[in-house]
Amino acid sequence: MGAYVLRRLWQMIPTLAGVMLLIFVLFNWVGGDPALVLAGKITNKEQIENIRKQLGVDQPSYIQLAYFGFEVATGFTCTWRSYTEKPTDSPKPTADAKADTKTDTKADTTDAAKAAPSGCQAVRSWATNEEVPKILTSRIGPTLTIMIPVLILETVFGVILAIGVAYVRGSLTDRMIMMVCTVAMSISFLVYIIVAQYYFGFKWGMFPVQGWSDSFWKNLTTYAPLPILLAVFVGLAPALRLYRSFFLDEINNDYVRTARAKGLAEKTVMLKHVLRNAMIPILTNIGIALPGIFVGSFLLESFFSIPGLGREILVAVNRSDFPVIKAATVYLAMITMLINLAVDVLYKAVDPRVSFK
Amino acid sequence: MQKISEMNLKTPRLGAFVLKLFLSICMLVFASTAFAAEQKVVKIAFRAAENGFDPQQIEDRYSVGICENIFESFLTYDWLARPVKLAPQTVEKVPEGEEGGTLYTFRIKPGILFADDPVFKGKKREMVAKDMEYAIKRFRDPANRSPYSWLFEDKIVGFDEFVDKMKKANKYEYDTPIEGIKVLDKYTISFKLREPDYNFLYFFAMPIVVPVAREVIEGYPTDTRGHPVGTGPYVLKEWVRRSKIVLERNPNYRGHTLSTEFADPNDPWDQAAIKALAGKTLPLIDRIEVYPIEEEQPRFLAFMNVQHDYIEETPLQYVQELYANGQLSSAMQKRHVQRFPEMQPEITFDTFNMDDKIVGGYKPENIAFRRALVHAHDRPAEIAIIRRGNAVPVTSPIPNGVVGFDPTFRTMEQEYNPEKARALLDLYGYVDKDGDGWRDMPDGRQIILEFKYRSSEEASRQQAELWTKNLNAIGIRMTSVSQQFVDLLKDRKVGKYQISNVAWIADYPDAQNFLQLLYGPNTNISNDARFNLPEYNKLYSAALKLPDGPERNKIYREMNRVLTAYAPWAYGVQRLFSHFINPWVLGYKKHPILYTSFRFLDVDMAMQKASMQ
Amino acid sequence: MSAVLTNTPTAAPLHQASPGLWTLAWRRLKRDKIGMVSLIVVVFFLLLMLGSYAGIVAGNWSKEVGVSYANPSFMAGAENLDAVKAKVDANAEKIPYVDLSDIDPLAPRYKEWEERTAKIKITETPRSDTLIFGGDKWGRDVLQKAIKGAQTSILVGLVAALFATVIGTTLGAISGYMGGKIGDFLEWFYNIFTSIPYILLILAFAAVFSSSPSLAPYRGVPMVVAILAFTGWTGIYRLIRSEYIKHASREYVKAAQAIGATHSRRMFVHILPNVSHVCLVQLSQHVVQFIKAEVILSFLGLGVPVDSVSWGTMLAEAQSELVIGKWWQLAAAGISMAILVTAFSMLTDSLRDALDPKIK
Repeated sequence: MGAYVLRRLWQMIPTLAGVMLLIFVLFNWVGGDPALVLAGKITNKEQIENIRKQLGVDQPSYIQLAYFGFEVATGFTCTWRSYTEKPTDSPKPTADAKADTKTDTKADTTDAAKAAPSGCQAVRSWATNEEVPKILTSRIGPTLTIMIPVLILETVFGVILAIGVAYVRGSLTDRMIMMVCTVAMSISFLVYIIVAQYYFGFKWGMFPVQGWSDSFWKNLTTYAPLPILLAVFVGLAPALRLYRSFFLDEINNDYVRTARAKGLAEKTVMLKHVLRNAMIPILTNIGIALPGIFVGSFLLESFFSIPGLGREILVAVNRSDFPVIKAATVYLAMITMLINLAVDVLYKAVDPRVSFK
Repeated sequence: MQKISEMNLKTPRLGAFVLKLFLSICMLVFASTAFAAEQKVVKIAFRAAENGFDPQQIEDRYSVGICENIFESFLTYDWLARPVKLAPQTVEKVPEGEEGGTLYTFRIKPGILFADDPVFKGKKREMVAKDMEYAIKRFRDPANRSPYSWLFEDKIVGFDEFVDKMKKANKYEYDTPIEGIKVLDKYTISFKLREPDYNFLYFFAMPIVVPVAREVIEGYPTDTRGHPVGTGPYVLKEWVRRSKIVLERNPNYRGHTLSTEFADPNDPWDQAAIKALAGKTLPLIDRIEVYPIEEEQPRFLAFMNVQHDYIEETPLQYVQELYANGQLSSAMQKRHVQRFPEMQPEITFDTFNMDDKIVGGYKPENIAFRRALVHAHDRPAEIAIIRRGNAVPVTSPIPNGVVGFDPTFRTMEQEYNPEKARALLDLYGYVDKDGDGWRDMPDGRQIILEFKYRSSEEASRQQAELWTKNLNAIGIRMTSVSQQFVDLLKDRKVGKYQISNVAWIADYPDAQNFLQLLYGPNTNISNDARFNLPEYNKLYSAALKLPDGPERNKIYREMNRVLTAYAPWAYGVQRLFSHFINPWVLGYKKHPILYTSFRFLDVDMAMQKASMQ
Repeated sequence: MSAVLTNTPTAAPLHQASPGLWTLAWRRLKRDKIGMVSLIVVVFFLLLMLGSYAGIVAGNWSKEVGVSYANPSFMAGAENLDAVKAKVDANAEKIPYVDLSDIDPLAPRYKEWEERTAKIKITETPRSDTLIFGGDKWGRDVLQKAIKGAQTSILVGLVAALFATVIGTTLGAISGYMGGKIGDFLEWFYNIFTSIPYILLILAFAAVFSSSPSLAPYRGVPMVVAILAFTGWTGIYRLIRSEYIKHASREYVKAAQAIGATHSRRMFVHILPNVSHVCLVQLSQHVVQFIKAEVILSFLGLGVPVDSVSWGTMLAEAQSELVIGKWWQLAAAGISMAILVTAFSMLTDSLRDALDPKIK
């Protein structure tokens, strides 16, 4: 088991390298020149060259790639330039700048342990100059505030409804529910958001039109319900259809027939045998969906003014803010891989038939 | 409160009445004390996200708009004067240009303090002339990569040489003096220019040309954008980047008053502002919350649902929901909302690439081709459909509200007239040569024009739609390409396009800021049309040397005529924005150059509390 | 996942019996009422698409036949929103036009120009106040637009799904059948694509396509198709790969090997027919998925160009119309899309049931 986990972790490295390479090629080689956006309305060649130099995009690609690798290795908390530069080049923060020195001293001590120069600075957004790790950590909260309830509600309602319709499979109720679900998932998410914001938010005043606050509870109880409801409504139908098919798969198995033949009540069969076995593909499915909750929905986030990661990524792409794009991609790729590993390990716990190869 | 007292009158029993009266008085007292302790808060939305508040590192209107409230430029605009008029802010008076408009000396009022900050170690820090010298030098420090560095390029004596020297030494030393920037004493600073520039004073009214304290910049070397420390009425209290900006009163601020000298006695807004603000020490608002909301529907609905105090630059397509046929909708009337119309100093236009083999060129047939395209472009439809009537056509690059604007300049050449367009194309031999139903070049080459527009803007897409439709109608084939902003910028800058739509808003309210967009030597700098006509260039240089006046206006008119004849641009519109103001917001007035109005505002808190969520 | 799939014994016959499988499936499908209705709806949309492609229906979608935001006929009584003309200042009208003749290079031919202009008369067709299902901002018939939009959206969905299926199936087949180094390489490739958030992948590919000069001729619909196909093949790859792993060890494949069939012959002639039902189901699932994804692309401004129309661009345009009470474009695009997508999903279900006789 330990060996298996280690081996999987080891296998992540080439994948991560591939992700880095792909994102690097797509944005650095083919994407636009970020210097132009930052240069402003009236620019000249010299100005653009200077910006390119400041950003480091004037370097040959392999060097940029190497820098990128260094940044990834340090989790975007240290740029190559700041790592190699003598600390005297950048003035030290004044001791009185309390809020800042706190984080700085921390960085200093860890660096000292590595016997490295203490100029280490986190990678910064080109557009706002904010530290990239800070951007990502501060945006993940709102995204999760929406997405975790969505995942929970979707799963709970999905499973309950699915086992219900599987129980009455083939009946009118089953067909009606499935029909409604299919229609519900056929409508574009964009339409849902526009219409719901207009009617539920504005016309009928059931929810605030948009907004976000500093308090988690206020967000969860005031601002999040409508986005959550929408996401659940859109996500429930596919989940229900999928889970129903898992249940039907199980119901048609021989062991269910045997159980029935033994004279067990249908309810017992459903809850004890079918549910337990169907939970495996359901959990797998949740595992697949899990990394998605970290990305969030940029549509929801931009329409409801939620300061989440999806909106941030969209803004970053629109402004060619490469550091943010790169960091978000790499972090999310790592999260995705780690969750996949966790799911596989859990899998083993749930289903003894699966063995680690 | 009202409800309670009504109920009381109907209550038959005296005891209960007295009790209730007592209770309601208690509540009133409680409520009023609570009010007294509460802050005056204004909440509004910005239509795009900000980039940060280091004045020498930013350009976007939203960040600059916040800087207006944190920092103070030497000069500012008189709040009520129209047309706009410079007024002193932190200096004693608006200086006169000396030595033929090449020397400007500012005398700072003593005793102006920066807001408190830990870097000042608990001491009060006075703003002095050196702070401005430092700020001006920062504009050209490569590390700041200031988008406004062009303001001080080729301008101040010795500055360019200083920058070159620093570049060679690969460092940037702020202590090295510059010949043309002289700190004469603690409060006096002068600037010597290489050539006369009558717009130089406008620079000192820009909210980015502001003094900053060197301790602060060096105290937060990695995050100057998050630590703005200025002398202005507000300080940055909280900043959740791209989603929330909170400003609160600066306790060190000395206060300002509303100047009523140039107020228009017939303008109800001016009179309302005077009634609400005159004679008071401003600012009156304690706390400002700004929320950037990029999608239009939520920004609009947030105002409609009274989450915000007012909405500025209401999405044009929504305006007629609130204001149509010259009056407010009944719902808005019921809410006592007011509409503030504003024409900003900006223009939109479609630029042709003058180096292009099909739309470019200076020969009569090239000119004829462009002029035909201009005639074919249905600008009235653009105004009616895309802008929903909230725009006026422009006839020159100089918009209304900018010094040098000529209201009598009316041309036939930029008017929609598809008949004329067709006749002109026929006349110069742009007819279908290969029988495919589309017009070709006189030499037989095929014409397939390409219109490039910004992908994330719906209005841009509609422009492309209109152009394509209009040109197809006169037999010219056109396709359109949506591009991401960066790619579009690049292609326009290097001349890899044929036609593209652009908007330009004044950095300072002088025609020169617009006319430079077509000055030949500015190709690759700001002249995306790559227009280079000796006649025009000569006129442009001549106008630079003159102060505002009839002589300069004559040259401007001549330039406008040349542009109309050669048609490097198809002129678009000047948009007419509508700002909707809730009734508890008092003294509102929007300045055409400055972006925010917080410093000249009051709110009726009781009314605000009763109505807002 | 593989654990789940191995639990499901497939009905794949041991001998070459694909005609039998398909005939049986068709018979089962014919008995499925919902499936047949869905099929009819889908066929109807496909015919509509062909008709609009040939110009028989909605040929005039781009003609501006009504006033701006013309009301639907069933709301004929409602007041139309006036297209607000610029308020022309009466004084401005009196200002004389500036004379350019001294500097205008075209001045020598002013007279000829004028004469020719006088000969040209462009008559504008009168615009109607109502249209069957209302008009858009330009006064175009929303119903016709929705039909034309169907053509683009279905085409995008179908072609992109086809490409994605081909990519996914080919890579999946190679990876599953060959295994080893090649399989590892393809797995690596697959992992990269699935580790990057979908939205970033889409935006990145869009950036590449819209800025690369060598791809300029393919902008527009081909670009949308390519973005969707290149980012959407991973699910198919996964399924097909596991099918191939299963089949590669089956006896009929070993038998084929014994008679000397090449690898590619075994992969594509022997095994493919036995997994083709999976491909078909995936194909139709992806059509639905891509039709929906096209809406998002359009919202981001990466949709089809302005001289064509799709449901996505209609919805992107209509997002601001609900607030001003002009709901019909949103409804027309939203509903027609919902009908097709519902029918397609139902058909997919029926197809799966028909092809996999075990599930009833």
